[in-house]
Amino acid sequence: MKNMLEHTGIEPGRLHFSWISSAESTKFVDVVKKITEEVKALDPHKKFVKTEPKVD
Amino acid sequence: MTIYTDKIKEIAKRVLAEGKVDMVIGFRKGTMPMMNQPLYATSAESADELIWDSSCGINLANYVTDKKGSIGIVAKGCDSRNIVTHVIENKIKRDQLYIIGVPCTGMIDHHKINAMFDGEILNVEESGDTLTISGSGFSEKVIKTDVLRQNCAVCTHRNPVIYDELAGELVAEQKNVDPYASVKTVEAMSADEKWNYFEDLLSSCIRCYACRNACPLCYCPTCFVDESRPQWVGKSQDPTDVRTFHLLRAYHCAGRCTDCGACERVCPMGIKVREFTKKLNKDCLELYGWEAGLSLDDRPPLDTFKTDDPQNFIK
Amino acid sequence: MAENEPKILSFLCSWCSYGAADLAGVSRMEYPPNIRVIRIPCTGRMSPKFILAGLKQGADAVWVSG
Repeated sequence: MKNMLEHTGIEPGRLHFSWISSAESTKFVDVVKKITEEVKALDPHKKFVKTEPKVD
Repeated sequence: MTIYTDKIKEIAKRVLAEGKVDMVIGFRKGTMPMMNQPLYATSAESADELIWDSSCGINLANYVTDKKGSIGIVAKGCDSRNIVTHVIENKIKRDQLYIIGVPCTGMIDHHKINAMFDGEILNVEESGDTLTISGSGFSEKVIKTDVLRQNCAVCTHRNPVIYDELAGELVAEQKNVDPYASVKTVEAMSADEKWNYFEDLLSSCIRCYACRNACPLCYCPTCFVDESRPQWVGKSQDPTDVRTFHLLRAYHCAGRCTDCGACERVCPMGIKVREFTKKLNKDCLELYGWEAGLSLDDRPPLDTFKTDDPQNFIK
Repeated sequence: MAENEPKILSFLCSWCSYGAADLAGVSRMEYPPNIRVIRIPCTGRMSPKFILAGLKQGADAVWVSG
């Protein structure tokens, strides 16, 4: 999935996968921090957002 | 290639007379040039209509799913691979099928040929490697290998994978082709370039779903595009909806697509829809060493778990 | 919304990451408030549809965790 989205031009940082056990709350916090930082580094997402159609 | 026609007719009549099959699925001459139609031949008379030339681009495996009784089917390389996929996915039983294998040297691209001429093409004759294309006021010869469909030009599985009988001698497989050349060009682009490339590619899509209907893999009773509760894909021509449709369609074909080119052939707007499935085919080959439809015994990568499955995308 | 506060749509498996998130909460750990959690019964419930629908409706990123 990630490969394909990137292939069609979505930036790599927009999709993340991870594997966390229910006992690993510290890992959970780490991953959230890491992902948030990565996503903050990108500009806000515009490309794929569906907007209201323009009415002239 | 046209010499196959007589052989196909002979086999079809024989298996029908012997009662081995209830019908034979093959091609008959279409009402327009380069547009052969599928034919269900149930008697010797209708089997006489069967033909074979370089316009048999439709994938006949599309017509065998969930059929009752025994069926004879004319299958070129890609059709036979899709039949294997159907057998693996329990859409048809192998012993219901009598496969008439046709070694294939590629099918012609009617989009390309139509673009070569200004007037309407009224007739296409084929003899050996040359095609004579004629319409009102012109008649020209072209070499078949120059007008092959793109997927046929890079095909590496021209001979049927499974068959009960062959309609001709096996042909040599192409060795020096790179099936994924176009994918590699896109891979080299930056994210924005990629986005614009696909935006451009899909800009003419009219959402007719011909690619879905022609695809032998698309047999779901209700397609995701027709679902309305919840509605995953809007029905509009909005670029995001168009792209969602094409992405999801490609995902449904992941690990199953044989690159038969039926989707691209039927697209009325001439969109290169294979660009999506092609990337997933390449990933399947690189990540799992898998090409769809080559063996009846192996399970596809997406329905099995192996301890050495790649997992470096997981944090 | 403040500038550059991304919305991260998170699909968390009920038995793994959702449990971890719960534990993190119970242990009063701090983490960025950018994630919007959707609890799924199992990561096997995930579908590419969800990811595309999320991105289409304005999520800045999607995170799937098992």
